[in-house]
Amino acid sequence: MQPTILVFACNWDGWSSMEAATSEGLSYPASVKVVRISCLSRIHMGLILNAFNFGADGVLLLGCEPGKCHYCSDSDYVINEYEKTREIMALLGIWKDRLSLVHLPAFDGQGFVNEINKLVKEIEGIPAARRSKLIGSEGIHQEPVKNG
Amino acid sequence: MNDFQNTINNTRIRLCLDCGKCTVVCPISRYDQDFNPRLLVQGALRKDDTQPVDEKVWSCISCNMCMERCNYNVQFTDFIRALRNKALNQGVEVKYSHGGTPQAIMRMMGHHEIKQNRLKWLPQDIKVLKKSETAFFVGCAPYFDILFKDIGVKTIAGVVGALRLLNKADIPFTLLPNERCCGRDLLVLGDTDGFISLARENLAEFNRKGIKRIITACPEGYYTFKVDYPRYLQNWNNIEVVHISELIAPLAQSGKITFESTGQKVTFHDPCTLGRYSRIFEQPRTMLEAIDGMELLEMPDNREKSLCCGASPWAFCGSVNKLVQKERLSQAGDTGADVLVTACPKCQIHLKCAQKNTENYNVNQIEIKDICDITSQLLSSEEVQ
Repeated sequence: MQPTILVFACNWDGWSSMEAATSEGLSYPASVKVVRISCLSRIHMGLILNAFNFGADGVLLLGCEPGKCHYCSDSDYVINEYEKTREIMALLGIWKDRLSLVHLPAFDGQGFVNEINKLVKEIEGIPAARRSKLIGSEGIHQEPVKNG
Repeated sequence: MNDFQNTINNTRIRLCLDCGKCTVVCPISRYDQDFNPRLLVQGALRKDDTQPVDEKVWSCISCNMCMERCNYNVQFTDFIRALRNKALNQGVEVKYSHGGTPQAIMRMMGHHEIKQNRLKWLPQDIKVLKKSETAFFVGCAPYFDILFKDIGVKTIAGVVGALRLLNKADIPFTLLPNERCCGRDLLVLGDTDGFISLARENLAEFNRKGIKRIITACPEGYYTFKVDYPRYLQNWNNIEVVHISELIAPLAQSGKITFESTGQKVTFHDPCTLGRYSRIFEQPRTMLEAIDGMELLEMPDNREKSLCCGASPWAFCGSVNKLVQKERLSQAGDTGADVLVTACPKCQIHLKCAQKNTENYNVNQIEIKDICDITSQLLSSEEVQ
């Protein structure tokens, strides 16, 4: 079974790379789910950890190249958050390389597919004992939120 | 009778006389006129289970100040907890602060599969037994130091200090490589299931290691193990729970542990969970007063009246909470002390956060330190072998 990967794709270059991969007819595992967000700076540790908490095997943060941020604020926020999240993941013992941060130029379809494959390989290389999926148990916090 | 009806009975909420003392002393009501514990109770009792819970229940910081004043011992914080649980069951989305990161970490730790790698901070010179019936519970300090790196938080210094004090006092202990968060914040937020899964994992870890006594420097852990675990876990086997200050204070007073003299002026901030909840007021003060030359200056609001650090369970932190923090820091500054000493990692984080907040630029910038950190740095080196 292919590992489940959640991609947080920035609306601009990140998303365009994914679209490019689709229009070029490149294939990548069907277990990759993409969440489109306005900018990678929107992402914080809570969202990434929740993805793992709900059973993702890997999380890929896909954004614009440094200096190319559409909102001019550049990518320092996400780099800071990414590094802190990896440290927390190491503490939790859930294999920090399951989280990956990728900056791609616009319309780089092949680049997107390469990065996905790299992450899949990384996850498949994790020793079986450390690979156990975290599946949400019966807690009320696991229920989907209907009327927030 | 449903759970909520049970809560109404258990929290004695019907005995509320409507006197409003809780509202007068509530630090949130002081700045937020829409938050009113008395009216919250009234409103909640009028609603049935299908009506949405008042959004203001998330503003309560569970500082327990209301309980201190209530003539009829109405358990208001327990009632708030039950209302939050009801709101969560209705599917309400909570406004967690820090993007819900602390809650995400806690919920991940509740998974049985998690095998943490959490002892990297441990200095080599600290003597830790491989096996002992006494365990030192570290708490979430390693996580806090990463999460709040940006505001210069060093809560692990307090833990290292506590271990040094224990070594000096010749109290043997072991550390648990896979202890979880005590779960207090989830419990306070109304996520009882999340709390119970953490509690079960912790109990299994204690049993596996044959732990009979837990020493901790974290007030949240102390209170939760002492009061909430026996309440929620049927098979909790009476593990003794001790706060570090309860062990160190008598030894410091009798001169078994000696400190180097200093000219520092300090003020002590009572954490709500250590003070009002656990009734440990004097031991930390005894520790500080045992140090030769250290001057302990009291803030006007001290001991039972201590003002909360402003944001208890990592939820709903806003301008009102910042005003509470600002007031506490000015109180500390007005005493003329050089250092604000506290015993809780969360107080340290919240007060430091207020200091770093650029909008509140005139917040008092007093140095903030953990009690174990400041005392262990002054341990006299004479008897060290």
